[in-house]
Amino acid sequence: MDRRTFLKTAAVTTAGISLSGVVYGGFAAELIDNPSPKKSYTDALKEITQDKSVKDSDKVKLVAPEIAENGAVVPITVEVELPVEQVKAIHVLTEKNHNARTMSIYFTPANGKAYLSTRVRLAETMNVVAVAELADGSFIKAQKLVKVTVGGCG
Amino acid sequence: MNISRRDLFHLAAIAGFSLTAEDAFAKLNNLNPEKLFEFKPVGNITLLHICDLHAHLKPLYWREPSNLISAKELVGTPGFLCGQTFMDYYKIKPKSMRAYFDTYITFEELAKKYGKMGGVAYIKTLINQIKAERGSDKVLFMDAGDTWQGTAVGLFTKAKAIVEAQNALGVDIMVGHWEYTYGKDRVLELVNKHLKAEFISQNVADDIWGDLIFKPYTIRDVGGTKVAVIGNSFPYTPIANPKEFTEGWTFGIQIERLQKFVKEVRNKGADIVVLLSHDGFTVDQAVAKMVNGIDVILSGHTHDPAPSPVVVNNTIIVISGSHGKYLGRLDLEVKNKKITNFAFKLYPVASNFIKPDKEVENLVNKLYEPYEKELSQVIGKTQTTLYKRDTFYSTFDRVIMEAIKEEADCEIVFNSGYRWGTTLLSGDDITVDDVYSMTAITYPDVYKFEMTGSQMKNILEDIADNVFNSNPLYQQGGDMSRALGLEYEIRINGEPGKRLSNIKVNGKDLDPNRNYVVAAWGGNMHRAGKNIKKLRPVYDITIDYIKRVKVVNPPQRSNVKIVDYPCGCPDNTGGC
Repeated sequence: MDRRTFLKTAAVTTAGISLSGVVYGGFAAELIDNPSPKKSYTDALKEITQDKSVKDSDKVKLVAPEIAENGAVVPITVEVELPVEQVKAIHVLTEKNHNARTMSIYFTPANGKAYLSTRVRLAETMNVVAVAELADGSFIKAQKLVKVTVGGCG
Repeated sequence: MNISRRDLFHLAAIAGFSLTAEDAFAKLNNLNPEKLFEFKPVGNITLLHICDLHAHLKPLYWREPSNLISAKELVGTPGFLCGQTFMDYYKIKPKSMRAYFDTYITFEELAKKYGKMGGVAYIKTLINQIKAERGSDKVLFMDAGDTWQGTAVGLFTKAKAIVEAQNALGVDIMVGHWEYTYGKDRVLELVNKHLKAEFISQNVADDIWGDLIFKPYTIRDVGGTKVAVIGNSFPYTPIANPKEFTEGWTFGIQIERLQKFVKEVRNKGADIVVLLSHDGFTVDQAVAKMVNGIDVILSGHTHDPAPSPVVVNNTIIVISGSHGKYLGRLDLEVKNKKITNFAFKLYPVASNFIKPDKEVENLVNKLYEPYEKELSQVIGKTQTTLYKRDTFYSTFDRVIMEAIKEEADCEIVFNSGYRWGTTLLSGDDITVDDVYSMTAITYPDVYKFEMTGSQMKNILEDIADNVFNSNPLYQQGGDMSRALGLEYEIRINGEPGKRLSNIKVNGKDLDPNRNYVVAAWGGNMHRAGKNIKKLRPVYDITIDYIKRVKVVNPPQRSNVKIVDYPCGCPDNTGGC
């Protein structure tokens, strides 16, 4: 994302994190009440989908690096290639983090498109999973393995 | 070819005199029954390609790897071929000049017969000849990077000497990797003020705003054909090399952005799309599957000499070796925005067979002049081949690690698995310049530190996964770190994090809880250690050691045993 797009989006959302939706408030509150919630990937997914099935879909475009330059701030973008009216939320999960439920972004038609760009912290090599919750109550997802390495040429 | 070394020099001199004639290549071929300079031009444009020169302005010996171990899915594929498997795959005759250039087999014998490789003055002669034949407006000359770093003259001039050589060669476009280890300010200074070539990269961006640092692509008119060249610098530069050199810049392969630029240049009327890349040969084969519409990839980074292109998803992928040993030539026939025919050749830069370009030779001498006295100083002798390339072990690295072990008084020494360096023949003198050719980096300090057994194992597992991952996109394109004082077994196809076993430190089982005293250079390993002490630069330590011992004779036996392949190399320099 270039500077101009950032400034435009930042104006309508929270500064420092650029996305076209709004952060799920309850989640932030939960973090304050309980600073270190342990939530496995399976539990986090269940919380989001209520046990509904989640299909892999190429409508969910998840862009993340193959190997992280810095595991503390891994840039990702997610776009759901459907009309924004059909997308209720995008949930980002980090498979092996202490709390695998990283963020949930809810969209309204005023957002224009179902797109977000942010940075996530990855404690180790793991899958980043983007789950799209659609207006009809179904779920689709995409995932990518991001390697976190100490580096060193060869 | 039954001619002695002296005959060769004599013939080379003759070849030199005739090289200004129109049929110079034909005359070279008369001297060389393998017709290594023969080429039937095809179509309307020529792309010339070099990669991974590693700042070698003068000819050198460079022995190709004695093994190139990979995950089983990749065994036997271009990028993981060496020695006999390489000869079989590309149908190369034993003991031919091609065999000498492309493999380690009977290297010393053939080195004496055919002489040194590379050298920019010799590359220039080939380029001049091709441009004269073809018409220089039909030729575009590209450099896939790792050009500025690797020798003393590169390091001492902060790459300025190498940029001058590139300007003299007439490089049109380049990308980078080790270039960035001179620091981003120096890179921008050289690119903006000194380098005549265009430096392009679509995958280097500001890490907050995402603004691109360099032009992502350039569109050139080559003999009436619009050639779009998109650049990719090494995607893992801030991971493989210290981050501080590129603080604030972010890299990555950037597949989605690359696809966007392919569409953009097509919309701007490009007839063909070329990716000039430092991704590595196997990564580029994966990229070609994921991105549509790239006609040609000129690859680099992994140093493969591939005599014929790989074609993936209608993309022609070529890579042209390393250290200036080869000049890659890809002729294309372009009709209606499509490649309808092509021909490729890796010209071996066989310095005994080519008359050097006088101007460039003078330039090289001028560039060396301030350092010549220091660099040509003989500090010792070797009794065996000193080489760099192998997956786990190399004799020259062994000498460097012995030197560090003495200086640091430690239990274990680690040395990075870089793929650049030099080769010395048994009986050769070792000069100061040779040591720099193995160690000339901008972060040369050796670190002594403490680390627990389990930390050490985790780091080795991590490095092993960067080398042996079955998915090329997760590889960093180097060889395994070398170690002295440490032996282990490895299951190449084991689970990530569980490949190593039976690890021994100086003969005793590795204790995961004990602290070990370790020394290392050229990597990030010390950052995980404690009680870190900075010692002297690796080249100073190595030079002093060789001066002291006078003669080196490192063992040919690797300290690593591969469990899942029947491969005992590099015992007696190889056998895979």
